[in-house]
Order: sequence, then C-alpha cells, then structure tokens
Amino acid sequence: MVLVLFLLSLLIFYLTRGLLPASSAISQYITPKMNSIAKLQLAQSLGVATKSCPNFTAFSDSQAGCVVPLWGQYVGWLHNVLTGNWGYTLLPGISGTETTLTVFFQRFPLTAELAIAGAGLTILIGIPLGIVSATHNNKLPDHLSRIVSLGGYSIPQFWFGAMLQILLVLYIRVGGLGLFPANGAFATICAICIPNPGTATAYTGAPLFDGILSGNPAYTWDALVALALPAITLAITSIGALTRIVRSSMVDALKQDYILLARSKGLRGRVVIYRHALRNALLPAVTIAGLLAAFLLGGAIVIEIVFTWPGVGSASLAAANSLDINFLELYVLVTALIIVLTNLVVDILYAKLDPRIRY
Amino acid sequence: MKTEPGPPSRSADLRYALHRFRQNPLIIAGSVISIGTILIAIFANVIVNPKLGRSTDLDLRLCWNNPALNWHITNVFNCGGTVYPLGTDTYGRSVLSMIILAIPLDLQIALEVVISAVVIGVFFGAIAAYAGGVIDEVILRITDIFLAVPAILLAIVLLVILGRSFSILTFAIVITWWPTYVRLIRSQVLGEKEKPYVEGLRAMGAGRVRILFRHVVPNSIYPVFVQATLDIGSVILTVSALTFLGFSPSPLIPELGNLANAGSTYIFTAPWLIIFSGVTILVISLGFNLLGDGIRDVFDPRLRR
Repeated sequence: MVLVLFLLSLLIFYLTRGLLPASSAISQYITPKMNSIAKLQLAQSLGVATKSCPNFTAFSDSQAGCVVPLWGQYVGWLHNVLTGNWGYTLLPGISGTETTLTVFFQRFPLTAELAIAGAGLTILIGIPLGIVSATHNNKLPDHLSRIVSLGGYSIPQFWFGAMLQILLVLYIRVGGLGLFPANGAFATICAICIPNPGTATAYTGAPLFDGILSGNPAYTWDALVALALPAITLAITSIGALTRIVRSSMVDALKQDYILLARSKGLRGRVVIYRHALRNALLPAVTIAGLLAAFLLGGAIVIEIVFTWPGVGSASLAAANSLDINFLELYVLVTALIIVLTNLVVDILYAKLDPRIRY
Repeated sequence: MKTEPGPPSRSADLRYALHRFRQNPLIIAGSVISIGTILIAIFANVIVNPKLGRSTDLDLRLCWNNPALNWHITNVFNCGGTVYPLGTDTYGRSVLSMIILAIPLDLQIALEVVISAVVIGVFFGAIAAYAGGVIDEVILRITDIFLAVPAILLAIVLLVILGRSFSILTFAIVITWWPTYVRLIRSQVLGEKEKPYVEGLRAMGAGRVRILFRHVVPNSIYPVFVQATLDIGSVILTVSALTFLGFSPSPLIPELGNLANAGSTYIFTAPWLIIFSGVTILVISLGFNLLGDGIRDVFDPRLRR
C-alpha cells in the first residue's frame, strides 16, 4: 500500500519535474513582489536550483550546472508534498492570493458529499437489481435489469446530467420555477426548495452534513434538493459494475448445495435468498469497492462541470486550463490515498467476513 | 494423433453458440448497432461531404426548423430554407452531418486505444504470470499505480503536461487502460500454464517464449476479446468525456464530445446539440456493450443451462 503511493509519487514527480521546464517548478511559489534575487533564493530553497547558480535568468534558461539533476530534486519535492507546501493557487479569480492547499480543502468536502451520496445510491439501487436479476435468471426482470445496468454503463455522464436538467429544470416547471435547481451545491430558488432556510454552521464544509449537524431541517432539505440530480447521475452511471458482480455471484450462490438443503428444510424462499444466498454473494461485491471509489471520484469531475458543483472536480478543470499543476498533483495524490485506503479496508473486511481467508 | 477436440464437436459447439446467439434479442441488437456504427464510420465521407465540417456560417448558428419536433422554448431561431433535421451547432453546421462526420474519428480513437492496451496488457500480463517471482511482483505493482488513480484524472494531467492533440489523448487513455488487461490475462495464464499440455510442450523441448506466446496466450485470450469489445464502448465514453471537458485540439473538429461541449452552454436554449450528440455516444457505446456482454454469455460455459 505504501509502496503503491511511493511509486505513484515517483510517477507524478517525473511527469511534473521531468517533462516540464525547471522554471515551472517554482512558478506557484512566486509572489508578485519578488525580484530575481528572491526568485533565485526561492528556487534554491525548493531544491530546484543549485547553490552555485549565478542568477535567475541562468536558472530559467536551464543553463548547465544551474538546475539540480532530477534525482536530487525528489527529496525536496516530497518534503513539500508531505508538509503541505503546495504554493499559491493559479486558479482564475483567486490566483496568487490563496494557497493551493486551502483552496483544495475548501472544495474537497463538496466532492466528498457528492461521491458519498453517489456511492450510497449505487449500493441502494445496484444490489437489489443484481438480486432480482439472479433470482429471475433469464426471465423478464433479468433482461430489464441487464438493460438498466448496461444502459448505465453506456450512458455518457454529461448527457444524462443534461437530460435531467432539461427535463426537471426546463420542462417540468411549477409556478415559473424549475422543479429542481440547475446548479450549485445549495439552492433556495426552485419549485421544491425552501426559500429562507436560515443558516448552518460550517462544521464540514459540505452543506448537507452541515445542515444535519446544525439541526436545521430546512437547510438540510435545500442541500439535499441540490444534491439529488448530480448524485443520481453519478449513481446511474456506476451501478453497472455492482449489479453485474452481485448477479453473477448470486447465480453461483443459488446453485450451491446449502441452498438446496435450506430449501428442502422447508424454509421460505425469501429467507433462503436473503439469509443464505445473499450473505455469501455479497462477498465478491465487496472487492470492487476500490474500483467503485475510483469511478465515483473520476466521474465527479464531469458531473461537477455539468451541474456547476463547486467541488475539486470542477476546480481541476479550471486548474488544467490555468496550468495549475500543483492542484492537479494534489488531487491525484488525495484520490489515490482514498482509493488505496478503501482497498485496505476491503482487504481487512474481507478477511473478517470470510473466515477461510488468512493473510 | 489427436490433441484437440475433433471437428464434429467443434461444429456442434458453434451451432449451439449460433443457436444461443439467435435466441438472445439483446445480442442481435448489439451486433446490428456495432456493425451499423462501423459501416457509418467507413462511409462517413461518402454520406456527408467532409468539407461541411470546415464551412461555418454564424448566421445559421443554433437554429432549428424541423417541424417534426417543437421544443416549446421561447425564441428558438429558425434556420429558414433548408431543413436541418437535428438543427445546427454553434458554427451554423448541420448537427446531423457533424455527428456522422464525428463517428469515424471517435471509433478510430477507441480502436487505437483498445488495440494498443490489449497488446501492451497481454504482453506484460502473460510475462508476469509465466515468469512469476520478482518480474510478476514488479509488473503488478506498476499496474497498481494506475488502478489507484481515476483514469480520467490521470489522462487530464497527461494532457495538461504533454499538450492537447488526439494522439496525446489516445496515448493518455492507453496509459490508464492497459493495466486492466494485465490483470485479466495474468489470471488466465496462471490457470492455463499448469495444464498438462504445457508440460508436454516443455518435454518436447519447446522454448519458453514459444510456449507462452504460441500456445498459452492464444488459449487464454478469449476473456480479453470479450473485455476488448466491452471496452470499445467505455473508451468512446472516456474520449468524449475528455473532449466534453474541453481537452480537444480545436472546438471546430467534428467529434461527439466536442459537439456536446459546445451544447453544454446552451442546454436551456438549444438543447438539441447536447441531446443528439449524447444519444449518439449512448447508442454506439450500448451497442458494443450489448455485443460484448452477449458474447460472454454465449461462450461462458458456466452460464449454460
């Protein structure tokens, strides 16, 4: 696990320091007041310029002996990464005034809220769909569930999001307002929103959780309404994998001898399915949690753009357009950390759930 | 000398497969859509004059005059004379023509990505499984890196650093895609290499490379084909998601995600642009997914009744 993160850091380091000119390594740490002497000192303190480098121009022209060789830069880079020294953001509007780390963690709770809601819906829809599909193998419900999961697998996220918006914001209107809000993570102007929800203390930075923690139901509702369409889009496009794995492992489980035994004991069909078969069938489904996390966090980028959701996903596009490499690096490393941790939890959980497995 | 099942059983197998093929309406739909897409891609430049992709007329931008569909939106701009069945885009070009011109490009990128990823993935996956030990460990750890980052995010980073072009886009997606094939072929080869015929070959003095790539890999390749068929759909989705986000060399190029990107600004005033470009992506991707899913069902003996 640590090895994966280390190798990933090498990859990211190589991509940004190895393929981009040396001067880009310090661009996010420069403040407007700096003169070229200060810039050179900065480059030296970041471990990019050598101590013997005569002046800043020589450094930015990458003159021989002025730029520290790549292998020598890694430790300095890693130190900055681990201490959270990511420099100033280059995002439009706040460029140079806020640090990359602050911006990232202001926006991250919103993406987390979206991904958690997406994961919850995926599990709520995906597992029952897989069960129905397996218990009605090759009959109509199986075909319908296959169409839903394959459809979800094939739907472009931006298109599904846009379709929901066109339907529920443009066409279904109540009292001159769209049924749902079209953008943002919190909305007071839509047909089913509550106009004056009051305020909530920013415990987490994610409106839904803040509303719940502050005990403000109106605020929570408004956050929930804004979250609904993006979360549904995220869930619909990611249930395919879960439904398939639940279906196939459930089909396998239903063929086992212990199911035959349970049935011959005279247990009701429902008990056999949910108590005996499902418990065993869900084990393989747990293993795709890491993949699902990767899919949800990646899908959040497109969905945040479509719904103008102010999370890290939509910011990463702005970062790409303003060449804010550090923001993207931070995003890659944080998502990788989340996915690696998810896989670790899955491994532990799997051993707990299945006593036959020993590490 | 008979080392394989004889011809009669093989043709019976094929007949059984064809029978199951015909039985399943979803596979038929998938085959029709996939073959149709490929045909449109081949003949796109005959159906639509490719010059239309470069001829812009801003007087005709975002207009709609197909009487079959009323959008009930105030101030929909009418194109006048010639009917544009699916309206026009932000450059005043027919959306239908642009979609037809876009299909070859998207399909080409998808095929390039899938074929490159299969070749790289099968090569390293087969070596990892057959060699085992340190080599296996190293290759697996490298694939772990790519499986720990969302594909689209890594592709964005690569596009920002390397520049925006379709070849870099293809490269960026291949980089994130090959590890899945490594995992897939590795697990197959691990099972296959223990079979008696491999030992037989070894006893006959066949070289390791020959055994692996002439015998073991061809015998374990079938799930890779299924996955590759499914992945054509997924890659088209990824490509269009990236171009939708604006990672396209030029907004003028007729490409499905590009068209949707232009339409995303006008969701409430000219919804046809994003709707029809998205539907095209959905149908193509669904076609390949249905086909791949069907092939798996037909040939997977575990699912036979």
